[in-house]
Amino acid sequence: MSKVQELKVKNKYTGEIIGTVPADTPETVRDKIKRVHKNQFLLKEMDFFERAQLLSKFSSKLRFKKKQLKDLVVAEGGLPIKYSEWELNIVMNGFKFCDWYYQFLEEKPLTSIEGEQLVRIRYIPHGLAACISPRNTPISLPLYQLGANYLVGNGAIVKPSTACPLTMLEAYALMEEMELPAINALDLVIAPGEWAVDEFLKSPLIKTLMTITASHTAKDILVRYGRFLKKTVDKSMGVAMYTQPFKNFFFECAGNDAGIVMDDVNLEQVAKWNVMASFTNSGQQCFSMKRIIVHQDIYDEYVECLVKEIEQLKYGDPTDPDVDIGPLGSRRILMMMEVMVEDVKKYGSKIFTGAEKIDTGEDYGLFYKPTLVEIKPELCEDLTKAPFLWREEAFGPVRSVTKAKNMKDAIKLANASNYGMRAVVYSTNLNDIETFKNELEAANIYINARPMLVDITVSLGGIKDSAYPPGCKYYPQELVYGKYIYDGTLLNLEKIK
Amino acid sequence: MMEEKLTSQLINLKAYRTEIARKYTTFLSKYPEIFSDLCIGSNFDFALYESISDYDKHSPVDIFNVYRSSQGIEIKPGGAQNPDLELALSIKAIKELIQTKNKIDYAQLLGSFYNNPDEENGWIDFELHKRTQRLINMGYGKFAQTAGILEDDDGI
Repeated sequence: MSKVQELKVKNKYTGEIIGTVPADTPETVRDKIKRVHKNQFLLKEMDFFERAQLLSKFSSKLRFKKKQLKDLVVAEGGLPIKYSEWELNIVMNGFKFCDWYYQFLEEKPLTSIEGEQLVRIRYIPHGLAACISPRNTPISLPLYQLGANYLVGNGAIVKPSTACPLTMLEAYALMEEMELPAINALDLVIAPGEWAVDEFLKSPLIKTLMTITASHTAKDILVRYGRFLKKTVDKSMGVAMYTQPFKNFFFECAGNDAGIVMDDVNLEQVAKWNVMASFTNSGQQCFSMKRIIVHQDIYDEYVECLVKEIEQLKYGDPTDPDVDIGPLGSRRILMMMEVMVEDVKKYGSKIFTGAEKIDTGEDYGLFYKPTLVEIKPELCEDLTKAPFLWREEAFGPVRSVTKAKNMKDAIKLANASNYGMRAVVYSTNLNDIETFKNELEAANIYINARPMLVDITVSLGGIKDSAYPPGCKYYPQELVYGKYIYDGTLLNLEKIK
Repeated sequence: MMEEKLTSQLINLKAYRTEIARKYTTFLSKYPEIFSDLCIGSNFDFALYESISDYDKHSPVDIFNVYRSSQGIEIKPGGAQNPDLELALSIKAIKELIQTKNKIDYAQLLGSFYNNPDEENGWIDFELHKRTQRLINMGYGKFAQTAGILEDDDGI
């Protein structure tokens, strides 16, 4: 169990300590859980639209502090400043117009076969949620977790990554400064995931555990909860009874998105979008075109366009507005990129560009040059034998390109994955487009779309190992349950009087 | 389809408390086509603020309403009873906005004040008084994009 009382946060590029913040202990985490749980009723004193309006006002406050927040995102997250704008805009837009999510939560009447409307489905907040967010987005995902819970009326405790908690702490301070009503039903926990997760799992006050993490980590959380449940078995009545309740687990996990480029598109334009979609935030994005699948008739020409675009990417100081690739979030990511590239070399794969590291020997200023590697299609189908780079998420700037014979083959290759977050297609053939929509195994399909959309309709989620529960989703709708209410009062009142 | 030719009507220009409000409304009346995406009957307030703290206190120095009629727009002093939304602008932002020479430059500058707000150099904001979905249906989303407030991210 950690005894750390304070946390030093480093600039990801320079290594300079940019903030020292008090760290939680298991005791303070338990106190926070109790306090937030106790104050949840404050949220119920407002209706959805009051809470939405407050979040909308908070969004304005964030915007007025945008420059300061961007600088923090760049310093502690290592995001190039040009992409920190997107990181902030996506959450500010979401908050500004958050009443848009009401369409998923609005009480619905149901009409029976007889034409009566005695039934309504009402959406009720689950209760206190503990949320764990990743290091690659210092503000958008943790704030979205906090805001979505507030919006639907759940108390929430959010644990930002200990690698980059400062932006979220600043956002929370802004909520305090504007005296956001019911702020005591929200809190942040600054603690390492290793033991914080156990505190969340053990607390019966926490109804939902919401994490954005690697799929393997999410499965490990389930295993840990299973072990914990097992310890709580009561056999006093002769049968095993688990004394602890179910929890709602809500996992957003890894992506290994396929991006398909067919032979009927403008290769230069698509290559520009492809490179942006693949290498934004140094490739440290769950949704990112990771497995590029290209029609054989344009393969060589497209790879040439891609390499040209990739080699134009500038890496270095993330505060430089021209820089595209910032430092990696951790030494572990650097190591994973090296392992993936070394592994794929064993298959005789061609390295088109990159495959070089810049290692300061420290835990900052780490880079891996944007890399494009060929993976032969015959290596992709059997996932037990496929290269590591094909099988698993490359959470860094290494991407693969694979040749497809035709549309059917492209779909087969795209679906040869344990993951199913997004899939991207570039094609002008309207018949093929419909087939792609129907047959690609992913929860979010983007056809001929520009990357990096700032659009409230952008959904999260995935299928296979990319998310649990599966499907595209908006957080607010996952944080409530539907209550079936049959009210026969009007029909039967006289009969039962 | 031909672009609709809209007219503008400035009502009771003398009623404004500030000269800047007179100048801004006169300026807007030159570009009624900015409002062409809005549904007939939509209306929203423009509130002019000296500072962000005045905005926090909702204490504008002047306020006017733009109403989208079937012919074009009507601009009149004071806030409406039930506006769709309030567009808040700092005086510094307005002083620069009225220097722009065409609606494209105006939209770009308005967007920049929204996306990069600054107490010293100018800012704008807006507060929704009706549900987002309803405002989208009334054309405000398209209006905001045309006016430069919702960024087109093609340039990233």
